[in-house]
Amino acid sequence: MTSLDPLVQWLQATQLSLWINQSTWVWPLCETLHFIGLSLLLGVTGFFDLRLIGFFKRVSVAAAKDLMPLALIGFAINAATGAVFLIGLPGQYVHNRVWWFKLGFILLAGVNALLYETRLSARVLALAPGEDTPGTVKLIGLVSLVSWLAVLYCGRMLPFLGDAF
Amino acid sequence: MTDLLASIEGSALAVWTRESPSIWAYSTILTLHTFGLAIVAGANAVIDFRLLGVAPRIPVAALGPLFPIMWWAFALNFVTGILLFMADATTKAGQRVFYVKLAMIALAFLVTLAVAKSLRRDADAIAAAIPANLRMLAMLSLLLWTAAIVAGRLLAYQ
Repeated sequence: MTSLDPLVQWLQATQLSLWINQSTWVWPLCETLHFIGLSLLLGVTGFFDLRLIGFFKRVSVAAAKDLMPLALIGFAINAATGAVFLIGLPGQYVHNRVWWFKLGFILLAGVNALLYETRLSARVLALAPGEDTPGTVKLIGLVSLVSWLAVLYCGRMLPFLGDAF
Repeated sequence: MTDLLASIEGSALAVWTRESPSIWAYSTILTLHTFGLAIVAGANAVIDFRLLGVAPRIPVAALGPLFPIMWWAFALNFVTGILLFMADATTKAGQRVFYVKLAMIALAFLVTLAVAKSLRRDADAIAAAIPANLRMLAMLSLLLWTAAIVAGRLLAYQ
């Protein structure tokens, strides 16, 4: 993505970017928070997705959904700390194909969740504990689970795959 | 001690883990370790937050199947953790934060065991109201697993 080079150069010259790079603690702190955030996000969405797929049937979908604010907190932590990494070393990410795959999977998870929320959620929330979800909802759960695992995979493999390090 | 660590680091398995250009060596082992941590810490968070009063409509007893998932993920991280240690034994053994990480994991593991045991043994009482000591364990579990993540992350920066 060399077409983004002007943006990369501009970002890299900002005071914020310089500060992130000069500080000894900003990067380690954000990395640590990023791991805490991913655990929260994957733990909660994973549990919810497994319920949608058909596990943990004794928990109603509505009850499982009560945990979702925690997943959103995890996502917010990771979006914020992810932005710090991007501002700090924009070239490292923008020039790495795997980073774009990661963004793509985040987008897929988002669109999938939006589809669920707008089209299916109301019907599923009415299910009692023990009741099974319809096939489309199982598919939504599976897509979500696979997407978030792929996000984690791409993120962790970023330095090893792709071509910018 | 130094000799032992050096011979571990020089062993064929450690050399392969560290130096093989294969995608299945260091990078995949590290990634599996990250998957494992997300599952262990994430599933624990679900259980701990529920015990602390979040999502009260979830029946605590229904969370039981999360424990075997965690034990498997923990085993994965035990194995991948040993490989990662072997690959860098002399450095890791010299880092104080490495011992902090091990201590946090040991304590967190014991606390999680205690939570699992309590959920099995006191299921009826817990269904009525979550006992104060179990809430305390849940709080400890959250703190200790978080501390293990922090220590693990900081290992990379010393």
